[in-house]
Parts: sequence; structure tokens; C-alpha cells
Amino acid sequence: MNHSTPLAVALASLFAVTTAWSADLSAGAEHAALQKTIQTCAICHGETGRSVSPTFPNLAGQSAPYIVLQLTAFKNQTRADPDAQAYMWGMASQLNEATVNALADYFSTQAPAPGRPGNPALVTAGKKLFEEGIPASGVPACASCHGQHAEGMAVFPRLAGQHAPYLYKQLLVIQSVLRTAPVMHGVIKDLSKDQMQSVVAYLESI
Amino acid sequence: MVARIRMNDRIEGWRGALVALMLSIGVVAPAVAVPSFARQTGMTCATCHTVFPELTPFGREFKLNGYVLDNIKQITGINVDDRSTLSLNSIPPLSIMLQISYTHTSAPLPDSAVSGALAKDGDVLFPQQVSLFYAGKIADDLGAFVQLTYDGAEDHFALDNTDIRYARHFSFGQGDDASQHHLIIGATLNNGPTVQDVWNTTAAWGFPYSGSSTSPTPVTSPKLTAGAGGLGQTAAGLGVYAWLDSHLYAELSLYAPSLPGGVHPLDSTQAGVIHGVSPYWRIAYESRWDVNSLTVGLYGIDARLNPGNGLPLAGPTDQYRDTAADLQYQFIGDSHLFTILTTYVNEKQTLDASFANGLAANPSNTLDWFALSGEYYYQRKIGGSLGFFSVNGSADSLLYAPSAVTGSNNDRPNSRGEILELNYLPWLNAKLQLQYTVYSKFNGGKTDYDGAGRNASDNNTLYALVWLNY
Repeated sequence: MNHSTPLAVALASLFAVTTAWSADLSAGAEHAALQKTIQTCAICHGETGRSVSPTFPNLAGQSAPYIVLQLTAFKNQTRADPDAQAYMWGMASQLNEATVNALADYFSTQAPAPGRPGNPALVTAGKKLFEEGIPASGVPACASCHGQHAEGMAVFPRLAGQHAPYLYKQLLVIQSVLRTAPVMHGVIKDLSKDQMQSVVAYLESI
Repeated sequence: MVARIRMNDRIEGWRGALVALMLSIGVVAPAVAVPSFARQTGMTCATCHTVFPELTPFGREFKLNGYVLDNIKQITGINVDDRSTLSLNSIPPLSIMLQISYTHTSAPLPDSAVSGALAKDGDVLFPQQVSLFYAGKIADDLGAFVQLTYDGAEDHFALDNTDIRYARHFSFGQGDDASQHHLIIGATLNNGPTVQDVWNTTAAWGFPYSGSSTSPTPVTSPKLTAGAGGLGQTAAGLGVYAWLDSHLYAELSLYAPSLPGGVHPLDSTQAGVIHGVSPYWRIAYESRWDVNSLTVGLYGIDARLNPGNGLPLAGPTDQYRDTAADLQYQFIGDSHLFTILTTYVNEKQTLDASFANGLAANPSNTLDWFALSGEYYYQRKIGGSLGFFSVNGSADSLLYAPSAVTGSNNDRPNSRGEILELNYLPWLNAKLQLQYTVYSKFNGGKTDYDGAGRNASDNNTLYALVWLNY
């Protein structure tokens, strides 16, 4: 058997395929570039902004101003928690303002991830904390900024349906000031880990 | 790891045995992780690696997308149709790997020149290996992983793992998540089967990620393993692959012989020369949930080789048909990381050429390889692995003849052992490793396995490694 023939066929086929690919690179270069950027985000955050791993937050339905604020903070390296440095400083470093806005538009208009039920006792305690705060300790209701249904408001992020481990980690790094979040530092400075666990369980569930 | 040796080729006599001993060492899987990618992407090692060189799901996506994800300034060019003609990293994605090692075998090896004398007990290699990488984007959709290695034991430079790939992303289907599909189609040009693979169950990137290049290793192994029988970097492959919805992988590659050095065009002085092209195939399915990923796969090769080594590269060939199954599980938590890797390879050998020329006693043989390892890390800083491996095959009095250290006293290649590894990473790109390999069977036996009085346990190996990537 002459084995060089299949190799030649494979090479020829490959050339044909790559030529065809090149030919369809036509109009809408900017749109294509944005699609490529979204695909890159999607590797961790999911194609429609719903991530699989709780290391990476859901972005679907997230408030657009919040996404803009965070991408800018990653780019400027002012959000400096460990995962921000590991993943997002590089990712955001070359984004221009137009792309940041386009990404915020895209992810904010995706349908949010549905809630996932959690430990009922934790969810109940978390709901109370979210809606009422802890008056005795001076902790205001989370809902006052994040919305009655944790749907987010402007620069205050949507929390509903977010991965509980992600939210818990954010509370920890904000409390320890590894992540700068001026309003939150005061609000959660005395929040215990148990209280954090309950509120994130509730938020993931809605 | 630069060289791969085919120990199925019979080497006769005392000098032959020494040559065989020299050749039987240094067949440990190559292992690399490259700061080039970190420089190009701006992301830390932990994005793509649990602990280098094992890939995370993101690392697999990065490779399957052609190594092109970049977050550094580009030097760009366009033509009048606004089509990209150049997209070049402003800083070349270069990096260096340095390995310094110490090897100690339970019993010293024979001296290579003086009969009856022994080699030095314990061996330091400074370096075991130094590699220079270009690893990253070449152009839009085109990227490369190119490794140039100086091997301390062999005292030479050679092209090591090399994978050049072109990948394009396609989306189809409309509406919600369920009816949207995403497909990556890519092409790879590489210098050995499994160099292009993205899971850590296959030869080029499998466990152990580094090992001694000077201690004895079992006489043979199937072509698709990192052992002595493996094809290694003796083949040039061109393949196409598809990656659907980050779940389903399919690849078909064709491998032609590519043997650096020696006589070219290839002739009878070369050994183990692929005849024509050898098809390699791979399918795998990966599932991801929460912080877990599970992959099951099948792969194989149908390789026809001319034994060479004095025989013309014509006439009958030896056929090696490998079929392999693999499974990989990863748990990647913030503090705890856990991985299980397992691979089984069955090889059917039809040795028309070797049998006709008195190199093999049987016209056909089989060889089975099994490997299982578990790895745990705490905060990517301290961890360890425990691995088991075995190779079992047909008895063949010519392929596995008695010979000091490298031979078999009962004509069998059967070997079995465990690897215990402890690792400490003071930084994500620096690993201090202590590894101990225990053989309960070596080349067919436990005691006097080679007919020269050596026991399997005499080859137990302590290996210490300093491994830096920068």
C-alpha cells in the first residue's frame, strides 16, 4: 500500500478547509472581534453567562454598570483579590472602553441563572438577614442596595442565583480588604462566617 | 525528554547489553509548563494548571483554541479589505525550564566499560534538562508550543515536544443554551502521538511528570506509552480535531517517520522507522460540574515499522496496533485539589519483519500496559501522588533475552511497580520533588530477573528534583 497518498489527501483537505475559513472572514470585523471576546469570557463564565464552576461568577443578568465597574477595576488593577489577580488582571488588561461596554450589554441582557435550593435552615436565616439586616449590630438590610429580590441596582451587583461559594469568598476578601468595596467594608465588618454562609445560601437559592 | 528508544530491537553481546542499558534509561515522560503562556495571557499558572504540567479545564480550552488567547499588546497589520495580515505579540512568549536532579538506585549499575566493576552509586545531573520554549500565538488562530531541550545525560540539544496548531471557533443553533452549539475545529502539526493531547492520561503529558533519566526502566512498553517501547518523538504528525460544546473531542492524525540525526534520507542505519504513515485516532467525552471534571476516552494507533538497525527499509514490516482507554477525574477546589488518572493500553504486534529476520521468536505478540495514579495538593503548595503501573506481554526469547540489567531471564517483559511522590511548590512555577519508585517485578521476574543476579528491587529508584520554570 502506498501510504503517502493519504498524507497528501489530508494535506490537500486541510488546505481546502483553511482556505474556506479565510474566505468567510468578511464584514462585521468588530462584531466578530466582540464574539471572539465573548467566547473567551465564556470559557469560564459560560456562553450565556451561566458558569459551571463556582470559582467563576455567573454574569447572566448582572447589572451592566457593575460589570463596567469591575472590568475597569480589573484593568486598573484596583480590584486585587487573589482570583482577580490570577484570572482577570490579564484578561481585562487590553479591553478598551467600547469593548467593556459591549460586554456589559451582552451579559446584562442574558437571562439570569435560576436559583438552586440550599439547606432550608440556612436559607431561612439568610433570607431574614438579607431582608432585615441585623439591627442590633447595625448591619443594614442587604436588600436596601441590592434590591428586594437581589436583582441588583446600578453599581450594586445582582446576587440572586449567584454561586454561594463565590459569594462567600467575596464576603471574606471584602471583609479582609483584599478586595476594595468601600460601602461593603462598613456593612459587613462584623459579619460572622456563619452569617455569611446563611446569606449566600439564600442568595444562591433565589 | 529528547530521545525515545525501541528496546524491541534485539541488541546482542556484552557491548550490546551496555548499549541497551544506556538506551533503556531516560525514557521518562517529558514534562513542561510554560511561563510563556502566563506572559501572553497575563494570567497566573493556576488558570491553566492545577499544578504544572497538569491542565485544568481552562488549560485544555486554551490549548484546543490554538494557544492564541492573548492579553498583551499586539503588532498588527491589515490589508485593504480590513483583513488581518499580522497579529504578533509585542513581547515574544519565551520561557526557560531548568531541571536539576539526583538519582539513586537501590543497587549500583554495572560499569559501562570495565567488566565486573560498578558505576558510581548515585548520580547528580546539573542539568537533567534545560529547555527554551516559544509557546504562544504566532498569528490570529495560529499558535505554537515549541520546546528546544538540552539533555544533560545525553549532552545534546534537540527539538523536544512541539505542537503547532490552527483552530477556529464556530457557533450554530439559535435560542437558548440547549440549542446553541459551539465547535472548535483545529489542525495540529506535532512531533509525536499524544503531544497534542489535552488530558494527562496520555504518554506525552502523563504521570509521572518527571522522573530519573538515568535509572533502568522496563524493557518495553506499547507504542502509545512513555515507556521504552513508546514512539516518543520519532514521528511527525498532521491531524485534524473537533471539540464540540466543551464535551466531545474527536481527532484523526497521520504520522510519518521523523528521526532527528543519523543518516538522511532515512536508511537501514536508523531503527524503528514508520513505514508510510500511521493513523492515530482519539475520541473523548468530558463532563464538568461544580469544581469537578470527568473525562473518558479511547485512542489508538496502527503503526507499521521497519525494524531497520541493519535491515533495509523495505519488505515486511512489524505492525503495532494499539488500542487505549483512559479516564481522568479532577476536583479543583480553592484549597484542595485532587486528580485521578488511569490508562490502559493493549498492543497487538504482528512482527512479520522481526520474525523473518530472527529478531523476534514469535510472529505475533501482545503487550498490555496499565497505569493508575492519584494526586492531592493543598493550596497548590504541598502535595503528593501515588501511582501504580504494570506491563505484561507474551514471552519472546529473542525480544526479551537474558542480559545484565536490561534483559529478562524468563523471556517475559512483565514489570510492575509503584511510584510515591512528594512535592512542594514554594511558588507556582517552582517545584521541589522527591520520588521513590518501587519495582515488585522487572522484566519478567522478582529475583535474578536478568539472569545476571539482579533483583527487581535493585532498580528501586530514589529521585530528587528541583524544577524551575521562568
